[in-house]
Amino acid sequence: MPVFERMPARRVVARPEALDRAKPREDTLMLRVAPDEVLLFPDVDIDLGDPHALSLSETGFSGVWLEVEVALNFLERTCTWQLPSERPAFAQGAVAELPVKLYFEKDRVLILIPAPYAADFEERFKATQ
Amino acid sequence: MPKLIVDGEPITFEPSDSALVALLRSDKHPTGGGCLCCAGDCPHCVATVDGVAYVRTCQVEARPGMLIERHHNTQVHPGGYPPLPYEDKRSAEIPARNLHCDVVVIGQGVSGKEAAEAARASGKNVITLDVGERQEVIGIYPGPLVVARTHEGMLHIHPHDEIVVATGAAEIQPVAEGNRLMGLVTARAASLLARTGLDLGKVVALGTPPTGLEVQQAEGDLLRFEGEEKVDAVVIIDANGEAERLECDTVSLGLGFHPRDALVRMGNGLNVRAVGDCAKPSDIPPCPASGTLCHCSGVKVADMDFIWERGFHELELVKRATLAGTGTCQGSACLPHIRSFLADRGEALQAPFTARPLTKQVTMGEIAAGSQHRATPRTALHDEHLKLGAQMERIGGWWRPWNYGNTLEEYWAVREAVSLGDVSTLGKMQGSGPDAVKLLERLYPTQVASIKQGRSRYALLLDERGYVVEDGLICKDSDTRYTLTFTSGGSSFAELWLRDWAEGWKLDVRLMNQTMSLGAINVTGPLATDLLERTGLSERLRYMQHTEAEVAGVPCKVVRLSFTGELSYELHHPAGRSVELWRALMDLGKDLGVKPHGLEALQKLRLEKGHIIVGQDTDFDSTPRRIVHEWAINLRKDEFIGRQAVLRTNKIPLDRQLVGLEIAGDAPFEGALLYRDSKYAGYVTSSTYSPVLGKSVMLAWLELFDGALPEEVTVDGRTARRVELPFYDPEGSRARV
Repeated sequence: MPVFERMPARRVVARPEALDRAKPREDTLMLRVAPDEVLLFPDVDIDLGDPHALSLSETGFSGVWLEVEVALNFLERTCTWQLPSERPAFAQGAVAELPVKLYFEKDRVLILIPAPYAADFEERFKATQ
Repeated sequence: MPKLIVDGEPITFEPSDSALVALLRSDKHPTGGGCLCCAGDCPHCVATVDGVAYVRTCQVEARPGMLIERHHNTQVHPGGYPPLPYEDKRSAEIPARNLHCDVVVIGQGVSGKEAAEAARASGKNVITLDVGERQEVIGIYPGPLVVARTHEGMLHIHPHDEIVVATGAAEIQPVAEGNRLMGLVTARAASLLARTGLDLGKVVALGTPPTGLEVQQAEGDLLRFEGEEKVDAVVIIDANGEAERLECDTVSLGLGFHPRDALVRMGNGLNVRAVGDCAKPSDIPPCPASGTLCHCSGVKVADMDFIWERGFHELELVKRATLAGTGTCQGSACLPHIRSFLADRGEALQAPFTARPLTKQVTMGEIAAGSQHRATPRTALHDEHLKLGAQMERIGGWWRPWNYGNTLEEYWAVREAVSLGDVSTLGKMQGSGPDAVKLLERLYPTQVASIKQGRSRYALLLDERGYVVEDGLICKDSDTRYTLTFTSGGSSFAELWLRDWAEGWKLDVRLMNQTMSLGAINVTGPLATDLLERTGLSERLRYMQHTEAEVAGVPCKVVRLSFTGELSYELHHPAGRSVELWRALMDLGKDLGVKPHGLEALQKLRLEKGHIIVGQDTDFDSTPRRIVHEWAINLRKDEFIGRQAVLRTNKIPLDRQLVGLEIAGDAPFEGALLYRDSKYAGYVTSSTYSPVLGKSVMLAWLELFDGALPEEVTVDGRTARRVELPFYDPEGSRARV
């Protein structure tokens, strides 16, 4: 059974144009969660050229990487919206009626959930297995 | 021979029998009578199967040991119907699967297959459903969403383009005297039953004859069926208008067809298309003269006459007046006859009534498949609270400790020593940008520009009507950066409020809601500073000052304030380090008598200080004047949301106010009504017994009488006295020390 653990990240809110130009390090996963916001894994700062950007360490998300098959089986049960078919792909929305962010790679899927909901999410995951 | 159990009696059945056929082989009718269709359309074969009521026995395969209870068996069900579930019978959770496609085709007869092939040929992604594959569609919902029951659970299908309904047509049921007798079957049912080897005896066929069995064809119109429990004759009117009695054991009725189009009729506004027989117009039977028209709701033709005479002439009204069409078969049996009746009495054939989910009976488990309880978030300290024996409650949209077993100990720890409170649930937001001050000045009724760097101010948020919608702190971090706090339940609203206005005004501001990112611990009590000094916090903060500092090695925004009435510090910190910080504070404060306090103690503490909770003590139309918070409004400012409304409402005579009341003895419950000379005078919003004052204190909405607030009111039959707020430490010397 997967265990969701807090995933340290860098959360950045900045002007959308600044984020459009952002080039994270190669070993960094950058998720554009809103026009004015990105999450960076791991927690590394990024130069955006926006002096008023809010760039803060973030420990408010729990996450787990799952094998694609395991993830899709779970998502088919709990996700009412259509998942992206291309890889890699980022998507977010209600999964098991909780606010979830998904990052699809070829062989695995990252599931991110606000940590205050992680315990409920784990229970709901377990119920589908 | 395998056996199943019917009303406690074992009966044998043949392999591949349906439960219905098994019953009929033992001369048992599932509902005691009525024309069987063997196609899942009529309501005459339903029974309780393995504990599930209203199962169509024609649609389930007989299994050894299957338990069938017939609804009409009054020895099993004294009322004649299955009882409501009275046992806490929890079935296994029924899974739901979500599938996406372009087109879903319901029904896989000839026309359904053709529709599916055509859609695939045009490059569409197609899902097909067929009742023969045990995929029974129970409803079409906005979305669109097609819900089907399968033997593996529920399917939730999300078609993006089109829903094609190819469910064919149902046979028309007979309406005449005696149509509740046993021995009546539709023509297709007669053919099917004959193929199972069931002995139907002498069969008289009316209308289209069945195939595969010998029948006596009746030439004429149906008048009535005769018999005691089982039919022994059918009476027809022949071409000469003469009644003719035909003796028989079974009557086969081929009276025409009407489309199984309930799914089409419930897809109003959605892209739903009927094909094949489902798309054909209904045959309309002769207007019924007598007999039961709707077996599900027990509506007879005489009932139709009754409501017609009282002006119910529209099909939808007839449905509501009689409940015909709202029962087990959802109008499959009665609809053609109701239309015929109304056309006969009126002038035109009316369109079928609107259908709504569900088309078939489902269990609560099937309905609930895939749905979840509303989740309540937990702070990072949730498990710490449980370890400390906390009783957790859902408050303000979060799981929060109500108490740790001894509320008074928790209370006195705050008043006399030091205590920790988990306030991680507070709304927390950061705003940054060249227009940050401009945004906050327009939103808050306080003068934001006058807040000095490193200082904080309590502020209200008003809506355009001047009503209080939120409160919290504004902390100035720099000229272009502010930290804002809100109530526990209000952070989502506050974020939307700020973002909407910032975007509408096109202000250059970045906003980050950190409510779930940051934990917050309130260190409160006269020894709070002593405890924090032990954590390495050397900076002495003044009241309403804040700073960034490490506390026990954890980076924190330390905010000096007070909600409890005592010296207090809020430590905002990364939520991932909450446990580390909490444990360090508990450990370092052992000899200071540190204890955690829950919301029950906090309720006493804040109420003694007269601090309001927006949402609990405020109403939807609470103005600053009504809650006696004019001091938080700076009307010298040129503009802020709600300013015009405040100016306008301030001219209206005050009608009620939030006041403090005290009373001897126990606290009246929250919501208790207040009276003055037997007249309604208001209600209690918050109440508690105050240990430090030795009496109960309340916040309450109090009406003005002749322009003045009463000095005393009656609550719970006792006299409560109005007093100035706060009840405790009016100089604020303990919090500001």
